[in-house]
Amino acid sequence: MADKPKVAICWLGSCGGCDEAVVDINEAILDVAGATDIVLWPVAMDFKYHHIEAMEDGEIVLSIINGHVRNSEHEEVAKMLRKKSQLVLAFGACACFGGTPGMANFRTKEDIFNWVYRDAPTVVNPKSNYPQPKSQVSGKELTLPEFYEQVYALNQIIDVDYYLPGCPPPPDLIVNAVTAVLEGKLPPKGSTLAPNKALCDTCPRNKTKPDKIAIKEFKRIHEVEADPDTCFLAQGIICLGPAIRTGCGEACMNINLPCRGCFGPVEGVADSGAKFLSSLASIIDAESEEEVQRAIETVADAAGYAYRFSAPISTLIKKRV
Amino acid sequence: MSDFEPKLVCFSCNFGWGYLTGGNGLNSQIKNWIPVACSGKIDTTHILDAFKAGADGVLILGCPEGDCHFQDGNFEAKKRVYLLHKLLEDYGIEKDRLKIELSVDPEGKRITQVVKEMGESIGKLGPVKKI
Amino acid sequence: MWKTESIGSARVEDAVKQFLPPCQIRCPINEDIQRTNVLISLLPDDPDSAKEGIIQIGDYLYEKNPFFTVCGYICGLCENDCNYTTKGGAIKRRLLKRFLSDTFTPYLVQKKPLDVKKDKGKVAVIGAGPGGLMAAYELSKRGYTVTVFDSSNKLGGAARYIPKYRLPEQVMDAVVDNLVRIAGIDVKLGVKVGEGGLDLQQLRDDGYKAFFVATGTPYARPLTFGTAEVEGQELDGVMYGLTLLWEVNQGNIPADYYKGKKVIVIGGGNVAFDVARTARRLGGDVTIVCLEIMDKASKDAIPADEEELVGAREEGLTIITSRGVRGITKVDGKLKLDCPLCTSVFDERGFNPQIECADCIDLEGDVILPTIGQMTDRDFLQNEALLNEVGRLQADPLTLQSKVEDVFVGGDVRRIGFLADAMGEGVEAAESIDRYLSGIDLKRGRVKECEPYDAPYRRAYRDEPKHKWVPADRRINFDMFEEGFTLEEAIEEGRRCITCGPCISCKACVSVGIQDDLPVVEVNEDLCSGCRMCVYVCNYEAAQVKEVDGKIVSWTDDLKCKSCGMCVAACPSGARQLVGDKTEGRIKEIYAAL
Repeated sequence: MADKPKVAICWLGSCGGCDEAVVDINEAILDVAGATDIVLWPVAMDFKYHHIEAMEDGEIVLSIINGHVRNSEHEEVAKMLRKKSQLVLAFGACACFGGTPGMANFRTKEDIFNWVYRDAPTVVNPKSNYPQPKSQVSGKELTLPEFYEQVYALNQIIDVDYYLPGCPPPPDLIVNAVTAVLEGKLPPKGSTLAPNKALCDTCPRNKTKPDKIAIKEFKRIHEVEADPDTCFLAQGIICLGPAIRTGCGEACMNINLPCRGCFGPVEGVADSGAKFLSSLASIIDAESEEEVQRAIETVADAAGYAYRFSAPISTLIKKRV
Repeated sequence: MSDFEPKLVCFSCNFGWGYLTGGNGLNSQIKNWIPVACSGKIDTTHILDAFKAGADGVLILGCPEGDCHFQDGNFEAKKRVYLLHKLLEDYGIEKDRLKIELSVDPEGKRITQVVKEMGESIGKLGPVKKI
Repeated sequence: MWKTESIGSARVEDAVKQFLPPCQIRCPINEDIQRTNVLISLLPDDPDSAKEGIIQIGDYLYEKNPFFTVCGYICGLCENDCNYTTKGGAIKRRLLKRFLSDTFTPYLVQKKPLDVKKDKGKVAVIGAGPGGLMAAYELSKRGYTVTVFDSSNKLGGAARYIPKYRLPEQVMDAVVDNLVRIAGIDVKLGVKVGEGGLDLQQLRDDGYKAFFVATGTPYARPLTFGTAEVEGQELDGVMYGLTLLWEVNQGNIPADYYKGKKVIVIGGGNVAFDVARTARRLGGDVTIVCLEIMDKASKDAIPADEEELVGAREEGLTIITSRGVRGITKVDGKLKLDCPLCTSVFDERGFNPQIECADCIDLEGDVILPTIGQMTDRDFLQNEALLNEVGRLQADPLTLQSKVEDVFVGGDVRRIGFLADAMGEGVEAAESIDRYLSGIDLKRGRVKECEPYDAPYRRAYRDEPKHKWVPADRRINFDMFEEGFTLEEAIEEGRRCITCGPCISCKACVSVGIQDDLPVVEVNEDLCSGCRMCVYVCNYEAAQVKEVDGKIVSWTDDLKCKSCGMCVAACPSGARQLVGDKTEGRIKEIYAAL
C-alpha cells in the first residue's frame, strides 16, 4: 500500500487567517486529512521543526506556506521547507505578494521601531528598550530572530511553484488546489491557481457600468451610502476590481464593499498598483488645472489604495534576496 | 555632488516635438530619448520602470492644452503624472523628478534646453533614493 | 459543357461601404481633405522653410484637383457638412486652400507637364469651363488626345463671371493656362461647335471618338411675369447682369461707369449679388429687388449666402424683398419698374409666385440689371438630337451618357450646380468615356456607398477664427475684400481639424514620417475582463464592448481606431497591445542601458 503523500502547512509572518481558511473548507478537511499525511501544522498539530529537518530532501510532496517573510526565523523555515519539498504553494496574499504588512515597506525599520517602542501615544517604555537579536537575561543569552529592513513575499526568498492569492483564499479555490496536487493535474510551474482575468469579469455590478464615467471627486466607502447594485467606480468610490484578479466570489461586493485588491495582479501583470493608477486617471474628469488637482487630492493615500496587499512586489520596491 | 551626472529619461510626443528634424535629428541631441505617437500612451508602468532601472528623473513632453492630435491624450498623461506624484511622495521620491511639459516645438529648437534645465534641477536633488 | 465566365456581369464587384469624413463625401472631387488639413498643421512655422512643404501639399492636391487654388477662393461646399459646425464652427477649408494658393499659384508655371503617352485616340470636349477642363485633364492623364472647343476667347467658362473681388484674375489664369500646358490639352478658343458647319458629325469625321458636352448656361434668362416676357427689357439702360459681369472681367468697363447713377438689380441669388456689388464698385447707388424674403429659415428664403447679404449691406446696398417686376417703362429719361407685392414664392408645385397686384410700388433707376437665372444653348442640344420627347436634355445620372451613344453631358448644361459639382461631373464623364472606348460596362462598380463618420469626442472644442474683411469704406474696388490666412493662422486652423475620418483614408502622419506605419490594437480576450476602462478613455468610440457567452469583452473597431495607444495605457489588465509598435522595444533597450 502506497504511503499517503506528505503535506506541510506552515505560517510565517501571518495573522492566522489563512490557517482558518483551511479549516473553513469544513467537511472537506476530513477528506484532505484522510488522503494526506500532514507532517507540520503549527496552529493545529504538535510537530516540531526538527522533525522536518530530519526528513529527506523532497520527502514532502507539498508545502503550503502562508504569511510574509520579515525576520530570520521566517527565512529559515521557508528555506527548510523548500529543501524538503517537491512543491511549494504560496498560500494567501502575504505569501504571494507580501500582504497588508507589506505596507510597512513605505517606512524604514528605524521609523517603525521608534514608533512602536517609543513614540506611539500608548507606549510606556521609559528606558527605551528595543528588542535586540541577542540580549542577556538573568545571566543567560536570549536570542530573537533578526528583524529585516523590509517585508518580503515568499518568492523573493525561495522558489515558489504555485500561488493561491486571497486574504484569505476562498474555500472552493483551496479545495481545487489541493485536489489538483493529489490528482497530479497541475498547470505549468509558476501558475496562480485562480482565474486569469480581473474581477470585473465576474462581478455582477459590471453590467451596470454607464457609457461614460467621469468622476470629479472620489468618495471613501464610509462617507457615503453606496448603492448595493451599481458599480462602485460609477459611484465615485475607488474599487480596485479592474486591476485585480478574480476568484474570490465577490465576497466584498456582496456586502457592499469595494474591492481592496487581495487577489493581486491579473495574469501577466507584474505591478497591479501601477496599472490601477493608470486606469483610475482615465475616469477623472476636470475642466481646469485646479479641478484636476482637487480630484486627485480626494484619492486619500494613493500608495495605500494601489499597494494595500502588494507593496513588496511593486515595481519600485521589488527585490530578490 | 558636482560630478553627479543625472540620468534623465525623456518621452516626447511625435506630433508636437521635433517631427521637423527628420530621421535621427533628436537621437543625437538627447540621451535616453523615447519618441511616442501620443503622450497619452505613456503608462504609469513605463514611468515606474524608468525609476527602477536607475533613472534619476523622467521628463514627458506633450502637446499644449487643447492641441492634442488625438484630442485628449495630453490630458490623460497629465492626470497620470499628477496621480503618480502622490505615489512617488509616499515612496520618498521628490515629485520634481517626474515632470510633464505641455507645449510645442516641431523643429526641436527648445528640446535640448528643456532637457538640460531638468537635468540641472535633478542634479541639485542628487541621485534618486535607492529603495 | 460546364464553363465559368469571369467577364461582364459575372465579374466580382466591391461589396463594401466606405467610411469617410463627411467633408470628403460632400466634395464632388472627393479631395483628401483630412490628410491635407493635417499636413498643413504640421508645416514649419518659418515661412521660408514652409514653402517647400506647401508646394508638396499642393502637388498632392493637384493630382485629383488641378483647380484647387480656385476652390480656395470660391468653394467651401465641404464646410457645409463639417462636423465641427455644431461645435464651434466648420473648419475653414476654403481659406486653407487659399493659403496654399498664395505659394502654389506662382509655382504653377514651373510645374512639369504630365509624362503620359497619348495613344488612346481623340476625344472632343465642347466647353472649356471647369467641367470640360476637368474631363480633359482626366482623359489626358489616361492617354487620350483631347481637344477643347470654346466659343469665347477665354478658358474657364462660368468661372469667368466671378467678380475679381472674390476670385483674382491671376489665380484663374494661372490655373487654366498651366492646366492645358501640363496636361497637353489642345485648345480651340473662339470656335463654336454648332455654327459654321462645325457639328459633332464633322468632328466624328475628323477622327474624334467620343464627346463631352459641357456647354453650361451661357444665356441670361429674360424677365417673365406669369408666362409672358416682361415688357421693356429691350429699353436702353436695361442690361442682363450676366453681361455686365462678363464685360467687367474682360476689362471693357471703365472704373466709374456707374458713378452718379441709380442701379437696380433684379434677383436674389448669389449671381445677382455679384452683379449688385460689382455695380457698387463701379460707383453706382445700388438697390436689389427680389421676390424672396429675408428669413433664412423660410421656404421662400432669399437664396444668396449669408456672407453676401452681410457684405452687401456693409457696402451700402439696399435690399427690397417680396417684390416682383411686372413691367419696365421709360419716364422722363429714367427707367421705372412696376413692382407688385409677392406673397409667396414656392408651393407644392415648386416655383409658383403669388402676386398681389393691388399692392404695387414704383422703383426708379438709370440702369436695370435683371439677374434671375441662366439658360442653356438649347439650339445646339436640339440640333445634336440630345433632347428627348419632352424637350429635356437626356443624360443617365450615373454615367452621364446622353441619348447619343458617344456623347456624354455634364455640368450646368445638365443640372445647374456649383463649380465643384461641374468638376465632379467632368471626372465622371472622363471615366465613362474611358470605359465606353475600352468596351467596358459603363455602370459596374460606379455606385460608391459612403457613410459619414461623426466627430470624435473632445473635452474642449475651439471656435472658428473670425473672418477678416477689409472695412466697407475701403472696399469699393476690385481687390480681394477678404484677407486670407497667414502661415501661423493656417497651421492653427489645420490643427483644429479633428480628423473625423478613418486613418487609412488619411495617413498624413505616415507621409510626414511621424510614424512608420499605423500599429494595430489587439485585444487578448483571455485577459479582458470587460471593465470598460478602454471605452472610457477612447475619444473615437473605437474601443467598445460586446457580449460573448454572457460575459462582457472589449474589442476595437479598426476603422475608427487611430492607434494612439491610450486604451493600451489605460487597460488595467494589460489585455491590449499595439502590434507593430516599436516603442516597447526601444524602452527596454534604453532602460537596460541606464
